[in-house]
Amino acid sequence: MTKSVKHFFLILIALVSCFLPTMTVSAEDGSALQRIQDEGVLTIGTSADFPPFEFYAVVDGERRAVGMDIFIAEKIADDLGVELEIQDIGFDSLLPALEARNVDMVIAGMTPTPERRKSVDFSEIYFKTFQNIMVKAEDQDVYSSIESLNGMRIGVQASSLQEQLASQIDNPELMTLTDLNDLLLALKTNRLDAVIMQGPNAEAHAANDEDLHTFVGGFEMDDDDQGSAIAFRKNEDSLVEAVNESLNEIEEQGLIEDYLAQAGEYMAVSEVNEDGEEVEDGFVSSYWEYFWDGTMLTLFISAVSVFIGMILGALLAFKRLSKNTFVRVVATAYVEFVRGTPMMIQVMFIYFASGIFFDLPALAAGIIAVSLNSGAYICEIVRSGLGSVNKGQEEAARSLGMSKKQSMRHIIFPQALKNIWPALGNEFITIIKESSIVSVIGVGELIFQTRVVRSISFQGILPLFVSMLIYFVLTFSLTKLLNYYEGKMSHD
Amino acid sequence: MIKVNHLKKSFGKNEVLSDINEEIQKGEVVVVIGPSGSGKSTFLRCLNMLEKPSDGEIVFEGTSLTGLKEQELNQLRQKMGMVFQQFNLFPHKTALENVTIAPIKVKGVPEWEAQQDGTRILEQVGLADKVDAYPSSLSGGQQQRVAIARALAMNPDVMLFDEPTSALDPEMVGEVLKVMKDLANSGMTMVVVTHEMGFAKEVADRVIFMDGGYVVEQGVPEDIFTHPQHERTQDFLAKVL
Ligand SMILES: Nc1ncnc2c1ncn2[C@@H]1O[C@H](COP(=O)(O)OP(=O)(O)O)[C@@H](O)[C@H]1O
Ligand SMILES: [Mg+2]
Repeated sequence: MTKSVKHFFLILIALVSCFLPTMTVSAEDGSALQRIQDEGVLTIGTSADFPPFEFYAVVDGERRAVGMDIFIAEKIADDLGVELEIQDIGFDSLLPALEARNVDMVIAGMTPTPERRKSVDFSEIYFKTFQNIMVKAEDQDVYSSIESLNGMRIGVQASSLQEQLASQIDNPELMTLTDLNDLLLALKTNRLDAVIMQGPNAEAHAANDEDLHTFVGGFEMDDDDQGSAIAFRKNEDSLVEAVNESLNEIEEQGLIEDYLAQAGEYMAVSEVNEDGEEVEDGFVSSYWEYFWDGTMLTLFISAVSVFIGMILGALLAFKRLSKNTFVRVVATAYVEFVRGTPMMIQVMFIYFASGIFFDLPALAAGIIAVSLNSGAYICEIVRSGLGSVNKGQEEAARSLGMSKKQSMRHIIFPQALKNIWPALGNEFITIIKESSIVSVIGVGELIFQTRVVRSISFQGILPLFVSMLIYFVLTFSLTKLLNYYEGKMSHD
Repeated sequence: MIKVNHLKKSFGKNEVLSDINEEIQKGEVVVVIGPSGSGKSTFLRCLNMLEKPSDGEIVFEGTSLTGLKEQELNQLRQKMGMVFQQFNLFPHKTALENVTIAPIKVKGVPEWEAQQDGTRILEQVGLADKVDAYPSSLSGGQQQRVAIARALAMNPDVMLFDEPTSALDPEMVGEVLKVMKDLANSGMTMVVVTHEMGFAKEVADRVIFMDGGYVVEQGVPEDIFTHPQHERTQDFLAKVL
């Protein structure tokens, strides 16, 4: 196989897999438990912006996901005799990730609604809960019941139980967002009158924010709707049974109370010093590690993606100049397709589709998706660069006996590269900003860390401001750096 | 050395060359003149197959070029140096690098040897002190001399010149023509498209007058310039002389 054929094979796979029906996933034959024990790892999906169920805290100097659900998962992994791996994903991407086999089960304070039961199986309910209404503290006398909210602006999390419960309010003006923190921010900035939230979560927020007030909503609910359960792919009964055993044990020993208490401790204090005293720090010094990690990962993803994108883009550009019509058409189709679809969908597609076939970590899936995307744009940049080189250059090279390849490599391409240097720099800057999209599959880059900080600091706006500042410093200094090298590079 | 049989070239429906028959001998200096658009450049570019003839045959040193594979063509082009109106120097390379890149990459000459040869050839065209200069810092005349040196570095059997002085400021024409004269005196086979009638009179062994895709008339310079046979030749010469 020649290089070009191999190359196209890869692109073809990417394209053809668009048309693969999800039916290729055969139902598990009951050996799910066996498989996990063979692998020695239980991978859970969660959405760690939901205290006290799951959130981030500093434990022994290290940041990690904690919370009641996480402790339950640890116990389950222990009982199965396997390691626990946690994948932190946006709440409305959790069930797709489960079905795409990116994770083995989902534990995220999830309510087993009849709609969800159509696509996944659930464990027994491990935690009975209630649903609250969150309002601004100053409004607590105005809104004190469901009835008082008729016709008001109500916020709910996307694809949540609360979204369904909102229909028990007359004529609500609904705002549906993925991130609870955004809903709370909307509430505090007067864009909403109330937010429907899970009870313990609402209480956690209200306890940490004097501007907020919460009360039990008194919604009418089925038995099922009043609790949280763990979600599994259909037909993985062996795994569900094993997990139910662990859950029974947790209930018999009353461990839930312990877990909640433990979570409450993590929530109350951001950090404890050696003498066990709470450390009171400013915002930045408390959370700079989150921003630092996010910034580093953002830079890493962007640099790697632009590098791979440059190789891919150059290859594609040459293929688009190929004499072979088939090669040309495939390359063109790839570029047009990628440029004609949103990167967000590309990222989710690569992550979820790859999960069907093999276990691709979210970071790798994110980098691949961003690289494939960037490659298409860089292809067009390279093409314009090649076009900008005077036709006489190739003629001169060929008249000296150089082959097409040699003249491309030694004469045309180096000049093209110099011409497109500013455009490539721009692409890098664009990717730094747009790579934030990989946060939807739980890659811990800057936007993702911002979300984490918002959920643990109970601060809506400040984390946004800090991350905006970081992005600006990154892109601005990069622009300056590129200008400097551009100046140094020109000798004609 | 070069034989041209029934050469035709069309761009789409536009026939630019109609049935050209020529033979160029080893050591001969042939100057091609004619009005703009008459097909002189196209003729020259067909000789080294930068343009693919639509019909007819080019035979170079006994090998028919038409129908050769790309690879074999690359081999033969090494022996036909070409100098362009717009110089076409490689702007990202120094004068010496312009001269050495083809010997190194195409012929596989060791770098030190190519640099030695290149420096000598640049000296020969009077640019010993411009070895490390980038094209952008050279005058037009200097650039064109580097371009001639670049072609010479491949040790060609024939040199093709397409209006080498037309893009130059008048005061720089002389230095380039001098290099070409020296080259002719050293016995190089040359095909030169030019409007420099003085050069043609002095250096050419034969002058070809082209118009409308045909060779209208040819002969030794004295005959063409003093007793042109065809009306079109007379008209053209009346305008340029
Ligand atoms: N690549 C090309 N495509 C189409 N037409 C061309 C091309 N090159 C030259 N021609 C046409 O061929 C004719 C002869 O051009 P050329 O050989 O450059 O003439 P000259 O060098 O004698 O001025 C002109 O009419 C020109 O427009
Ligand atoms: Mg011309």
